[in-house]
Amino acid sequence: MIETFFGNGTLDAPVALLASLLIGIVFGVALEQAGFGSSRRLAGIFYFRDMAVLKVMFTAVIVSMLGLCYAKAFGWIAADNVYFLHTIYAAQIVGGLIFGIGFVVSGWCPGTGAVGLASGKVDALVFLAGAIGGSMLYNEAYPAVARLSAADHGVVFAYNSLGISEAALALVFTLIAVGGFWGAEYLEKRRFGTGMLWGSPCLKAFSVVLITGAFGLFALSKQPPATATAAVAQETALLKGLQSGTDHIDPTELADRLLAGDTVIILVDIRTPGEFSRFHLRSAINLQPEELSAALAPHINQGLIVLYSNGMTHPAQARDSLFRQGFENVCFLTDGLEGFLETCLKPASLRREPVPPIQALKISAWRAFFLAPATPAATRSSAPVLPEKPGLIETDWLNENLGTPGIKLIDLRAQSEYNTSHIPGSLNLNPESLRGWVRGVPSSLLPANMLAEHFSLMGIHPDNFLVLVCTDKLQDATLAGMACERLQHVRYGFLQGGFPKWQAEKRPLDAMLPTAQPSQYPVPDQPDAFTIEAKDVLQALGRPEPLLLDVRSADYFAGKKQDEARGGHIPGAINRDYTEDVAKAKTYSAFKPVDELGEIYAKLIPTKDTPVILYCRTGHQASQTYFTLTHLLGYTHIKWYDGGWTEWSAKPEWPVE
Amino acid sequence: MNPYCAGVLLGLTLLLSYLILGAGLGASAGLARLGAAIDLQLDPARTLASDYFGRWGAHPLQYYLVFMLAGVFFGGLISALLGNRCVISVERGAKCPPKKRLLFSLLGGVLVGFASRLANGCTSGQALSGSALLITGSLLFLFSVFAGGYAAAWFVRRQWDD
Repeated sequence: MIETFFGNGTLDAPVALLASLLIGIVFGVALEQAGFGSSRRLAGIFYFRDMAVLKVMFTAVIVSMLGLCYAKAFGWIAADNVYFLHTIYAAQIVGGLIFGIGFVVSGWCPGTGAVGLASGKVDALVFLAGAIGGSMLYNEAYPAVARLSAADHGVVFAYNSLGISEAALALVFTLIAVGGFWGAEYLEKRRFGTGMLWGSPCLKAFSVVLITGAFGLFALSKQPPATATAAVAQETALLKGLQSGTDHIDPTELADRLLAGDTVIILVDIRTPGEFSRFHLRSAINLQPEELSAALAPHINQGLIVLYSNGMTHPAQARDSLFRQGFENVCFLTDGLEGFLETCLKPASLRREPVPPIQALKISAWRAFFLAPATPAATRSSAPVLPEKPGLIETDWLNENLGTPGIKLIDLRAQSEYNTSHIPGSLNLNPESLRGWVRGVPSSLLPANMLAEHFSLMGIHPDNFLVLVCTDKLQDATLAGMACERLQHVRYGFLQGGFPKWQAEKRPLDAMLPTAQPSQYPVPDQPDAFTIEAKDVLQALGRPEPLLLDVRSADYFAGKKQDEARGGHIPGAINRDYTEDVAKAKTYSAFKPVDELGEIYAKLIPTKDTPVILYCRTGHQASQTYFTLTHLLGYTHIKWYDGGWTEWSAKPEWPVE
Repeated sequence: MNPYCAGVLLGLTLLLSYLILGAGLGASAGLARLGAAIDLQLDPARTLASDYFGRWGAHPLQYYLVFMLAGVFFGGLISALLGNRCVISVERGAKCPPKKRLLFSLLGGVLVGFASRLANGCTSGQALSGSALLITGSLLFLFSVFAGGYAAAWFVRRQWDD
């Protein structure tokens, strides 16, 4: 097997430059010997006067074509050791037409022009100067004409375009060339009496050699590929691919090429359809391993097929299998999807190693490209039905609708937990960031304009459906729910069992930061209807209604424990510990069944429309009971005293029980 | 030399180029890189920032096809000198004034230089080397060259009138 400079990547090494010079010298000798140091002779073909160009050029093409076919058939050279020009239809057709005009006008082409200059032709010198100028002109015009070169089809072979075998096309091409030689000789003999070789033994012998050579090739490729030598050669080529690294593509290279809109790449995800629909790399198609060879048949040795899965084993095996079936243009993604996520899509801020600024820019460009929403949902036919009012969301439903545009996940767990792993696409929100010092009371839910600002930064739109995700501290999610309601955002749900249940069920997780385009969340023009202040509570004192419900634990209610200025509770309040609404399963906490909760509260609150004031210490715990009563049980007149015991206990003049 | 013998020599050279370099023959890239080198002399910053020449960096001449073009010149020179065919002249039809012929050469040169960059190769790189590999785009280029040449031939025929 021959190792070429191109194959070794050393085409710019001094020894390769020397080899190029020597090959150039032989090339120049051949052109000069052919008589191509004369523009008159070169132009002759366009006036059917001197067909030397046809004879020389087609002889050269056929000889090297047959030579290369034999070199490949005997396994002397592998395709990956040869530089193949890409096919760009518009550029090559338009370029060819302009070139042809320039060729006939000047009588030269670049190689022959150099030989012409060596032969002392002044017109060749002028031509070369013009050609250098034309190249510079192209550079200047590049922004305008680059469009012609945009559709790069990669390496395309004519026998694939025509759907015939390489040997068949080589034979056809040889027959056409030999026919051309005889035609040219006949023409020259008839018109000018110069076609000395017409019918000569020399031309006959030459024709026979070429055609026999082409037929021999045909016969050679007809041999069953199962012969030991062919199989060994193929396996050697396969193993060589491992060594030279052509069997895989690095995640960064893939990311760059896809980002640049490289149409040569055919990206194939060989994971299950379920995994594919949850997340896949942009532009990937989903094929199961057994479907590969049939589905990819149109792309055999055209373009670059890139296989990926979560890891590398399956794509590597699939790649080898395809290689044995004749696909030489298949590689797999190094380190799989997991490696891709880690290398390309992990935010620079979360990396252990410091990331240079240029790399960080690249990462953010990749993230914007590959994590753009809508890809997973595009594979589903119908849009999901989103609940129109707050309620509980089951993990099954979320799993099925993950990635749907318009559904936003808000993860209320601690930053470190979120950073480690979260439901794909989740935004992280610290519930404490929703509270502050409002009208003299700490830990109060922020005013609507500030909450709207917060939502805007997270890129939330009023018509988004928000899924609130927390740990077993359900009140974190319900407090975020109060923020939603203050903004009149009723399209939200609370993930039953939260993150622990999701995790226990082994649902998809990742550690990516989703992109959030800041939005303009509108500020409602009216205050919310559920928050009440101390003055409303003072008015209720001593009356049967509204009912005061203290949701803190019994010890705090009774004053046995206190974290405030005074212990106890507001006079007349009844107690129902908010934690009793929650049942702890093995791995997670969830609201108790609605029936059970309904029975309990029915004993405490006379009717569904009885006015009730909920309070706790800071409004946090009471937000959970508010969710239970309003959204799970359908109570209609529930108010929330956000100031709670924090405010009440600090006012010595207000009564305590 | 018999054109078929010259063709076989040329074909074997091309084959050798593929087997040794791993790439075919080429001439226009060398000219284009000379153009880039000239541009670099005139305005380095602008050249390096340009979309096309900029890709070749600050040393466009350190490229195998530049050396190959130099080889073509020297090969041609050796062969012409040995064959006693090296004569300084403007090749033209006897009735064609040299100035007209040189103007045509210049104009054709500009077209050829531009088209070679557009098509990413000339008669050597595309028509010869690409066609030998049966590459679709190269064969289309080959046919387009002849189509363009035959279409324009009539208009410039006078330069060869004797």
